[in-house]
Formats: sequence, C-alpha cells, structure tokens
Amino acid sequence: MSVYLALAPMLIIALGGCGLMLAEAYAHFTDEKDKGPSSELAIPTAVTLFVAAAMAAGLWMKGPETIEGFRSVAPYLLLDRFTLFFTVVTCLGGGLAALLAGGYLPEHNLDRGEFYPLLIFSTLGCVILAASGDLLSLFLGLETMSLGVYAMTGFRRGSARSAEAALKYFLLGSFAAALLLYGGALLYGATGHTDLVGIGQVLAKGGRLPYPMVVFAFTLILAGLAFKVSAVPFHMWAPDAYEGAPTPAMSFMSVAVKSAAFAMMLRVLVLSFSDARFGSWSSGWPPILALMAVATMIIANLVAGRQESVKRMLAYSSIAHAGYVLVGVVAIMKVGAEAQASVLFYLLGYTVSTAGAVGALILMGHRGAEAVSYEDLAGIGRRHPGAAFAMSFFLLSLAGVPPSAGFFGKLYVFRAAIGAGFYWLAVIGLLSSVIGAYYYLRVMVYMYMREPAPGAPVATPMKSGMVTTALVLSGILVILLGILPGSSIQIAIEAATKVGGLAALRDACGEGCTVQRRALSPSAFPGSPSREPNSLRPPTHASSHANAPSPRRLRGVLRRAAARLQGPARGQQRGAFRLRVRVRAGDRVGRGDVGRRPDQAGGDRADEQPDQAPRVRRAGGGGRGHRPLQGGSAAGRAGAHPGGVS
Amino acid sequence: MNPAFSLFDMWPALAAGAVGALIPSKKDWKLRAGLGLVGALLVLFTIRTWTGPVLAEGETPREWPNLLNALIFLPLLGALGVVFLPRQAPRAIQRFTLAVLGVGFVLSLALLSVPMSKGWHFQYVHEWIPQLGIRYHVAVDGISVWLVLLTTFTTPLAVLASFGSIKTRMKDLCFSYLLLQGAMIASFVALDLFLFYLAFELMLVPMYIMIGIWGGADKIKASVKFFLYTMFGSVLMLSAILYMVWTYTKITGAPSFDLLALSRVMLPHAPQGFMKFGPQELCFWAFAIAFFIKVPMFPVHTWLPDAHVQAPTGGSVILAAIMLKVGTYGYLRFAMGLFPYAAGTASANLAGVAVLGGILYGALCAWKQDDVKKLVAYSSVAHLGYVMLGLFGSTPSGIQGAILQMVNHGLSTGALFLLVGVVYDRRHTRMVDEFGGLAKVMPVYATLWLIVTFASIGVPGTNGFVGEFMIIMGTYVSPRLGKFAGIDATLAAAGVILGAVYMLSVTQKMFFGPLSNPKNKRLSDVNGREAFALAPLVVMIFIIGFFPSMFTDRMKDAVSAFDLRFRDTFELAKSHGQKPPELIDIDDASFLKGAPPLGKAAVEAERKEREDAEKAKKAEGAKK
Repeated sequence: MSVYLALAPMLIIALGGCGLMLAEAYAHFTDEKDKGPSSELAIPTAVTLFVAAAMAAGLWMKGPETIEGFRSVAPYLLLDRFTLFFTVVTCLGGGLAALLAGGYLPEHNLDRGEFYPLLIFSTLGCVILAASGDLLSLFLGLETMSLGVYAMTGFRRGSARSAEAALKYFLLGSFAAALLLYGGALLYGATGHTDLVGIGQVLAKGGRLPYPMVVFAFTLILAGLAFKVSAVPFHMWAPDAYEGAPTPAMSFMSVAVKSAAFAMMLRVLVLSFSDARFGSWSSGWPPILALMAVATMIIANLVAGRQESVKRMLAYSSIAHAGYVLVGVVAIMKVGAEAQASVLFYLLGYTVSTAGAVGALILMGHRGAEAVSYEDLAGIGRRHPGAAFAMSFFLLSLAGVPPSAGFFGKLYVFRAAIGAGFYWLAVIGLLSSVIGAYYYLRVMVYMYMREPAPGAPVATPMKSGMVTTALVLSGILVILLGILPGSSIQIAIEAATKVGGLAALRDACGEGCTVQRRALSPSAFPGSPSREPNSLRPPTHASSHANAPSPRRLRGVLRRAAARLQGPARGQQRGAFRLRVRVRAGDRVGRGDVGRRPDQAGGDRADEQPDQAPRVRRAGGGGRGHRPLQGGSAAGRAGAHPGGVS
Repeated sequence: MNPAFSLFDMWPALAAGAVGALIPSKKDWKLRAGLGLVGALLVLFTIRTWTGPVLAEGETPREWPNLLNALIFLPLLGALGVVFLPRQAPRAIQRFTLAVLGVGFVLSLALLSVPMSKGWHFQYVHEWIPQLGIRYHVAVDGISVWLVLLTTFTTPLAVLASFGSIKTRMKDLCFSYLLLQGAMIASFVALDLFLFYLAFELMLVPMYIMIGIWGGADKIKASVKFFLYTMFGSVLMLSAILYMVWTYTKITGAPSFDLLALSRVMLPHAPQGFMKFGPQELCFWAFAIAFFIKVPMFPVHTWLPDAHVQAPTGGSVILAAIMLKVGTYGYLRFAMGLFPYAAGTASANLAGVAVLGGILYGALCAWKQDDVKKLVAYSSVAHLGYVMLGLFGSTPSGIQGAILQMVNHGLSTGALFLLVGVVYDRRHTRMVDEFGGLAKVMPVYATLWLIVTFASIGVPGTNGFVGEFMIIMGTYVSPRLGKFAGIDATLAAAGVILGAVYMLSVTQKMFFGPLSNPKNKRLSDVNGREAFALAPLVVMIFIIGFFPSMFTDRMKDAVSAFDLRFRDTFELAKSHGQKPPELIDIDDASFLKGAPPLGKAAVEAERKEREDAEKAKKAEGAKK
C-alpha cells in the first residue's frame, strides 16, 4: 500500500487526467460565451497539478526514504527526492500553463477541451521521465510527454504555421527519440543492462566491453538528450515549434518539457556515464557538453537579438537558458552535488520566470490580435502599465538582474562552474548574458519608450482572471526565490545529493536491488566515502538468499579488501590479470542472464563474492573525483530487479 | 540650558535664515520661507559639524544600528507605496516622493552624530543566505559616510528640479527615483559583495527607464548603451567575485561573500613583466574594468556623453553627482581593498591614462563641444580623472582629496546640470550658438552659473580648489607613481588651466556679449523651484571651500587606516609572490569588526550561538 503513497503525485496526475478526459467527453458544453470547456476544465487541471505538487512537497517533508516499499518500483521509477523536486517543478510549469490556457484558448477561438487532458498527461510523462532509472521507463515517459506536446503544438488546426510547427516538432522529436532508443538498444547489447545504474556499473568496471559500440551508443544518446533540451546545434526545431504552438503550449514546452529533459539528462549522465572514462574531461562527455554550452549561449543569444517576434525571441531565449544550465551540468563532473543543485535551482527559477514572461505576452493580446511582434507591444507601457510591468519584471528576471530568481540561478550556476575550475565557461556565460540583456531590454524599449506607428492597432490586454492568477503566482515565486533563496537552495542541494549519491540510490533501490554507486566526487559528499560500501550488496539471487552474507558483514569484507588494495596490490600484474579474467566471466554470465528471471540466473555465483570484492579500485589521489571507488559485478544486475527479493 | 540662551546661541542660523528670506525680490512667500529655511539649516549644519558631536568624558557614542537599514529601505518602501498611489494625482505622488526623500535626508544627518573614528559605524549584520555565505552586512566609515550624505542631499534637489520640466508619467518617474535612491545608498554602505553587486545592478534599471522614457531624441540608443556598458563590466566583476569566494571557501571550508573576509585572501600575483597576469591581476582587472566603465575612464567613457545628453535634467544630475561615484568609490573600496598588489603595480600606468585620457583629453573634448550639456558631461570625465588620479597615487592626502573631490564634483556638476536644465526648459535647445548675452536678461541665473563655474574650475575659496589641490599634492609625492609622479602632477595642474579655458569660454559665449538672438530677449529668470533646488548646492560649494577640514577631519582616520592596510598588504603580497592563495592576518581589529568567523566549524558555532540566543530571547518573551 505504501508504495502508492510514494507514487501518489503520479497517481494524482494520472487519475486526474482520466477524470478530466471523462468530464470532457461527457460534459455538454453549451455555446454560450462563458461556458466553454476552458472555463470548466482549466481550473481542475491546474488544481490537479498543484495538488500533485503539494503532495510531492508533503512527501518531501515526510521523507521519501521513510516510506516502506517505495523502492519496490526501482529501478523503473526511482522515487527519491530528485524525483519529488522535478515533480514540483514540472507540475508547477504544467499548472501555470493550464491557467494560461484557460485565458488564452477561449480568447483566441481555440476552446476545445482536449487541450487539458493532453497537458495533464504530458505532465505525467514529464514526471515519469524525471523519475525513471531505466531506459525502458525513460522511453515510456519521454513518449508520454512528447506525444501530448506534439498534439498541443498543432492545436490551432486552421493555421498552417501551427501545423508546420507540429509536424516539424513531431518528425524531429521522433527522430531524436529514435536516436535515444537506438543508443539504448546498443547500450543494452554492450552492457546487458537497461537500468541506468547497471549500465553505469558495467562501464565503470571497464574490462572488455565493445567500446566502439558503447561510444556509438553514447553518441546517439547524447544527441537525443541535446535535442530534447534544445542545445545548439540540435536546436533548429525549437524556434519554429515554439512560434507555431499556441502560446500556453509554448510555455509548457519551454518550461516543463525542458526541465524534464534536463532531469533525464542528469539521470542518464550521472547514473550511467560518470565513470573515469566517460565522466572525464579527456575522454568523456564534459568537453562535448561544454562546447555545446558555449555554442548554445553565444549563438542563441546572438540570434535572439535579431528576431522581430517576441515569441520567437522567447524561444531563442529558452535555448540560451538551456546553455546556462548546460554549464552547470558540465560542472557536475568536478563538483558533483553543488553543481547539480545549481542546475535544479536554475530550472526552478527559469520555470517561474519564463512562465511569467510568456503569461505576460498572452495577457497583452486579445481576440484577433495576439501580441507577437515587438511592434505589437509598442506604447503598451503607458496605456496598460500593469501588463507592461509584469512583462518587464519577468524579463528582467530572465536577463538576470537582481534580486530575482533568474539572477540567483545564474549566480549559482556560474558559482558552480568557477568552483569546478571552468573559469572560461563562466566568463563566456556571463558575457553572453549581457548580449541576452540586450533583447530583453528591447522589449522594454518598445513597451515604454516607443509609440505605435500611426494607424497601427494598439495592443489591448485581455481580461482573464486565470492568466492574472498565473502571473501573480509566478511573480511571487520569482521575487521569493530572488530575495530569500536560502530554503530553496537547501532543497535543491538535498535533491541533488540524492541523485547519483550512493545513499540516495540505496534508498531508492532498496535492499533488494544490488545497485552500487560511487559518489560522483568524494569531496562533494562530505562523509560519504565511509558510507560508500554500504550499498554494496552482493549479486545474489533468491535461492541463495539465506546464505548470502548480510550487508553489514559484506561491508566489512569490502572495506578491508579496499584497504588492502590501496597498497601494492595495484601493481601486482598477476592479481590484476586474474581479476580481468573474472570480469570476463562475470560479463558473460551477466549477458547471458538477460532473458532469464533473476532468481534463475547465476545460481553458482554466490561463492564468488569474496573474490569479486577485491576488484575494488582506489580513487587516485588527484583532483579528479571520478575514479570508481569500487567496481561492481556485471552480474549485479541479476538482483537489480525487484523480483530478486520478493 | 536656558532656552533663551540657546536661541541666542543660534543667532548665526537665524541671521542666515533672515538673509535667505530677504534675497528673493518677488513677493513669493513660499520661496522666501524656503530659502530662509535652507540658509538657517545649512548654517546650523556647519556649526554642528564644525564642533563635532559633544561627548562627555568616557561616554561611548550611541549608534542606532538600524539607521542604515532605514536609509536603504525607506526609499524602497516609498517606491512600493508610489505604486499604490493613484495615477491621476501627480501632485500627491510628487509630494509623497519629496517627503520620503526629505525624511531620508534628515535621518542621514544622524550619521554625523558620532565621531568618525576608524573602523565601521552603524554596522548591521544579518544572515541572509547562509548556504552560500551571503549576509546582509552594511556599515559606514569615514569614506562612505560622505557619499551617503551626498546621495541623500543631492537626490531630493534633483527630484525637485525635475518636477518642473517633467510633466508626464509622474508615477513611473517617482517610482524610479525612489528605487534608484535605495539602490545607490545600498551600494555605498554594502560590505557584502553580493549585496553590493545587487545594488550595483539594481541601480541600472531605474536609470535606464529614466533615460529611455523622458530622454531626448536619441534616448533609446543612449539608454541601451548605458545599460549594456555597465552590465558588461558588472558581469566581469561578478565572475571575479565568484572566484574570490571560491578561493576563500577552498581555504577555510566555509563560503563567504563578505568584504572583510575576502580582504584576507591573498591571491598569487604574476611575475614581474609587461602584460603578465596572475589570478590577482585578473581579478583586479575584472573589478577595475567594471568600475572604470562606471566612472567612466578613458577609453570606456563613450557611453557617458550620450547618456547625459539624452537624460532628463534630474536623471543627469543623479547620474553625474552620485552614480559615477559608485565607480570611484567601488574602485577605492573593492578593487584597491581586495587586490592591493595588482592595484599598486598597475597604478602608474593607470595614472597616465587618467591624466592623458581623462583630465587632458576630457578637457579638450569639452572645449570643442557645441552642446552645453555635452560640455558638462566631458568636464565630468576630466573631473573624475582627478579623482582617479588621487586614488591611483594612493597617498593619504591623495585619497582624502579624491573623496572630497567626489563630493565636490557631485555638488558642482549637479548644479551645472540643473543650470543647463533651466535654459533648456525655456528654449528647448542647449546649443551654445543659440545663446549670448544672457546675463542681461537673467542676472540671477548668470550669477549662479558663474559661481558654479568657478567651483568647477577650482578657484580658491570654492570646493573644487581644495579637492584638486589635495589630489595634485598627493600625486606629487606618491611612491606608487614612481618617476612619473612629477609629470602626472604637472599635467594635472595644467588640466586645471584647461578647465578654466573651456568653462570660461562657454560662459563668455553664453552670458556676455551682445544679446543677438531675439528668442532670448524675453527669457524669465530662475523661478522659485529652481532657486530652491540650486541654493543648497551653491551654499555647500562655499562651505566646503571655506571649511574643508570639517570634512577631511572625519575621513582622516578611515583614510589613514585604509592607507596603512593598503601598504601592509602590498608588502605582504610582494613577499607572497606566486605561492598558492592563502589567508593573511590583517592587523586592524576595527576593520575586522563584524567579519564572519574563520572556518566552517566556527561559522556553524556562531550560527548555533545566535540561534540559541534567539531561542532564549523568545522563551523569555513567552515567560513574560
């Protein structure tokens, strides 16, 4: 039962979505003006999502680790604090989008009820994506999320622009999903694992892996991830899709979808590809992502400055912000938890700022005259100061002017980058944010300092309680996160230490799961090195369960073995050779096991344990914290499924 | 004390009040009362400041710790209040704004109620974001107190003057003024680099709005240029701040953005040589560029003429009088305070730039301008060249002169911009050719202009003379400038002559000669509002000119402590060389008062102690 408690946010979203769909199908919306589906569905959608967010917050306070049975869905769904954090972020993004849609759709004659179920299921996909610790559930979440967004993009059926956007997004999105899937399949072939942690273990252990295949798979996955977060050069779809989509859908895409994509990126990179090879500057993803971050920040900011449409400018700005987040992701390799926390905080601040800016843009249009271009906004500062003030407020936050959520997010991310020694990355990021300030200011120039051309229509803001509510809500959050970021930073730090951190995975996967993790960087988790062996659990199976050494005893064995290996054992060629042989044996078994149930697999390996233990390698004394502290067994996956214990 | 006697004791003030009330020729009782009040208050201020705070033997001065908070948050809350005032009642908004600024000025006078001994005064520390080591830490010392007073003194006058020329969108205007005021004061009193950066950036937005909405023909380009130039510098500074904090965290284990804590970090510097950069040099240049842009120094001064020419009068006054001082003050407090070695070694070259690019080139540019406002803007570049020269020389006399000159420039250039605004409001042009012989139609205006011109040139008896004299004197003996000290001093003195050339030539063209342009024949003289805004500035010009020691006495201790620390740290850095960063001891308890404790354990212990104390307090309260 209690696993349902841990799953409650997702269940609330899913059930709420089903309920909304039924309501939409059976309700008879009259043709009266104020009785469209939006007036009936928008608020329930938002409420469902906010309740889910509140539920996640409640679980956070209770502590997901304390709920019995919350690990029983691992590794498919990791119900840790990281997930809860992203549940809140994506639900917030989704809920704000629902409120915006409640004002936007009726105003622009798009009032059809499907939007809300699409939105809500898409949000569910976001949450699943953030929670998934296995390539299968990851793909499931990705598709759940994306399909809804494709449909929402093309929601304005009569418009060729919208259809083009949807088609473009759909084709490229499926292409990216296919890349991910292909990469995942190759990884599975190479490592015998679909769960991210298992893949990470096998890669960390090294040995005779088919490296060309792994590298190819990794490239595909990285491309897919970069596509989803719309990093340059995989960003081409974003401006078109964003511009063509109805504005609330654009808000959802640039906020919730992007956050979920970053959650996926963090999960994949940190859980699977953070070993000494793939996580290093010399041979791994960090330099690729760093280059992408630089290209994204510079190109997106430069191009955004040349746009004539505010909506398109916001699309490019969302790409640019992905660049800043990537800086934080790159820093993860050096400073671990700190950088992850900065990424999480940035995404939270970005969510509220962007939702607010897009909401203000929505507010400025009315039927038949959507405010899209700069010219549309001319003179609005004098005629409708409230709307203009809201717009400038959120744009200043996006530009990174203190005290706002946007500024603090930037500060935090660049602080992490400097802490990781990437000074040049931080300086480029900060300078490109100056370019960014130019186009945000340009909106303010039009709003406050220009008058509309003679004869041109003056934008008239719509009147919508829901849009105003969304703006007020995000405004409060922006200023709170900017002035008193202390507690949310604390939350982000906690959420971050619980992903990739050893303790977290133990928590998430539980006793029955043999997930073994190394800390990303020993220095990033004070006190964790001593705890690391805690989670090491022998690859075991049900039949030998009774004989298996207790985790505590094993811990002792491992610690001693590790201590022994620190010394001269490293140089002993023969020992090393023997170890390699073992690895190969383990590999083969592990790969052979794939189709079988865990309890049937490798029943003869329980006695191998003591021998496997010495495979612990020591982290070098250098600054790089990515040497694995221990290599696991490839066969570890045998118990990775929850079935292993039950 | 006998009230009759104290009334008698105040006779100079009363006399000044009477004189002030008698000056206006028209029967304008408001103006009479206003000028009388200005005269009386200024004389009182002089007397009180002259004698200093009277303390009994052994009595420690009482400082109200929330004074600075009140000075910062009063305008900010006022800005919030303006939002809720009705747009249809511009007069009410104007009065409210002036009232808030006036209360702020009166409150700020309390800063003079304690003797400005060395160290921090009116210090207030509050944990803000403990995870990142960010604290709300404000305090003044003998250096910043004058800039705070300059701010609270000048802004109300600028605001008052601008109400005469700006009639539209009063709500936005007042909101911007109040927000700007809060941010400027915060930037002068912040001792936490995060808080300083926040104020530094926050200042941009209202000024940007002010130039962009009420500015001249080319306002948009000017405002965007202003914003982006400054932001470019400030993000460089931000990266250096983050580097410093990171280094500090690495050494002590606990992060801190506090200036006092970061002053202890000694970064390795580069080996001797041209264009060699170590971490200390890089961080110094990141800070320095941010401040040079703000000052502005040649060659990054190009935003200033644009911004000044386009800005409305009130905006120009605040920009010149106060915002530029954030640059010079920031250079002194942060760039020199944090990186003494890099600042010391770079200062000889920088002094050359300040003299050639600032004082001389700025003066020559000013000479060739047709637009009076542009002329004043370039004269700002020249005047701030003196200030920077004083700081580069880093002798006690030079620094004191620089601080005094910051105040002087604020007063005299502020007054010049107000005066330019007066003719601009009447003629809507500022071209020198359009005028001529104005002294005949506007005698009072011409008189005021001449006085301010003399102050700007630095004629003895006015404030400009004192500041420039001290700076040139300090430059001449400066060991930092090496063998160029004499040349710098000579050229700077030559700059004074150039100042006379451009100021007097424009005065001659505008005010004397035949009244050739028929459009000028019916110009009215300064009105009550303008006179009221100008009078305090003009009087202050003479007060500083005659009694400079009132000001220098109070900054002496702070400056000599700063100078001592600067020299000590410079020597220390020399011996530190290229070794990895480490903490140094600063042998100055008054400087380190309020600094965060060293090390993670100590920080946590302190936090716990404070929490316990708070808990105990609460428990006590509950008991009661």
